[in-house]
Amino acid sequence: MKSTSELTDFYYKELYGNLNELEKVRLQILSQLKWYGGMGLVVFILFAIWMGKNFGLFHPFSMAIVIGFIALAGMFYRSMTQEYAKDFKTKVITPLINAIDPHLLYNPDFMISQHLFERSNLFPHSIDRYSGNDYVKGSIDGVPLEFSDIHAEYQTKDSKGRTQWHTLFRGLFLVAEFNKYFKAKTVILPDQAEKSFGTLIGGWLQSHNFSRDDLIRLDDPAFEKAFVVYGNDPIEARYILSHSMMKRLLEFQKKVSYPLFISFVHNHIHVGIATKKDLFEPTIFTSLLDYKQAMEYINTLRYTIGIVEELKLNERLWSKA
Amino acid sequence: MQIALILIVIVVLIAVLMYNSLIGKKNQVENIFAGMDAILKKRFDLIPNLVASVSQYMEHEKSTLEKVTQLRTQAMRPNLSDEQKITLDAKLSSALGAITIAMEAYPDLKANENVMHLQRSLNEVEEQISAARRAYNQSVTDFNNAIEMFPTNIMAGWMNLQRRAVFEITVMERQNVDVGALFNR
Repeated sequence: MKSTSELTDFYYKELYGNLNELEKVRLQILSQLKWYGGMGLVVFILFAIWMGKNFGLFHPFSMAIVIGFIALAGMFYRSMTQEYAKDFKTKVITPLINAIDPHLLYNPDFMISQHLFERSNLFPHSIDRYSGNDYVKGSIDGVPLEFSDIHAEYQTKDSKGRTQWHTLFRGLFLVAEFNKYFKAKTVILPDQAEKSFGTLIGGWLQSHNFSRDDLIRLDDPAFEKAFVVYGNDPIEARYILSHSMMKRLLEFQKKVSYPLFISFVHNHIHVGIATKKDLFEPTIFTSLLDYKQAMEYINTLRYTIGIVEELKLNERLWSKA
Repeated sequence: MQIALILIVIVVLIAVLMYNSLIGKKNQVENIFAGMDAILKKRFDLIPNLVASVSQYMEHEKSTLEKVTQLRTQAMRPNLSDEQKITLDAKLSSALGAITIAMEAYPDLKANENVMHLQRSLNEVEEQISAARRAYNQSVTDFNNAIEMFPTNIMAGWMNLQRRAVFEITVMERQNVDVGALFNR
């Protein structure tokens, strides 16, 4: 796989023409946004003054108008940037993924199936709204993998009967084949309880988590500090989480810097990287040629696709062919 | 009168909880030991195959191969105590490790698909055994902690529960990990 510096070269050399073209569109959209935004703001202020005089600012009617105004602005923004976002994906993200591996398939509108997301056992909660985009599928070093942006939500009703949406998971979700056979389920989550309540109380809370299988304590203190592991077979959990695997997962966590959710179910590894945002989207307010921005696209792709190398999923030391 | 009754109920409840948690821990140790036994049997099944396919190549390693076969026979005898199983298992591990190291010197072996497959299966079983040992050690530590810590130690004393031994990881086994890495080159 290409190194980060090779990909950065590719981004600035090969994609320069496309980036420049998109940059022009971006600046155009930006100036339009400023113009319409300014106009909208003036109209809004005048309207607010008029409303304030006639109904009072906190009148339900005024509130409805404000909410409507925000919704309208959002729709307007989306329609203005839609074409640009689409162009960005075909002209920048697609070639970038092809540069990493020409056999990877990319579909900007597709996502990881909800079945796979639920199979992971990472988020044991009913899902009421499931969406995503930027789907990549293929195999790296003979290891089949797929990933995409995912936004999974559930809804609750408050005492007044209003529906509220809560995010269960938002970020990158990846599924890859694992190189060892196993039957059990093993789930690795960020260690929240021990961080907030200390080892004693946090540990007790973890061992009494009824929505999960049995707590599995592992013999790597650094790993134990960062993660909590649940599983239904203590031997298989340790078979998967060998000392070297725990080390690699810790290294991966350091690189990614977002909370990691990992599970081993059905001979596959499932990885959720909770970035809490939609990735691979073009920027409007900063330049696409900006180095930091470029590095974000490149690094996200590299560490996601690089997971095969990072966790040595391509190692064939075992009988699984 | 009532207060005394409530106190008795609480004491009985605590005693029941302690008893159950101790039994739970003891059973967990036994359960994991049984799981490990199953994996050890898997290794016993692999050994004759491995020895048979390797012996024609490894003329100079006859004594090591014989030792492995002998240890396997010993370890498969019925009515072994847990301690005996643990020692024999450790010996078998180091003898198999010696074969793996010796195999490095025979390039013909690496060309043999059958031997390579056996080698991979053996790697798999060795890792499963190592996982089982770690699981066993954790369950034994939990159990030992429970029977030595206050207040469960009092209950454990009445129940006549004894400390159990954990597996020691031998120097040889640490080398095994390196050999695995060598093999992949």
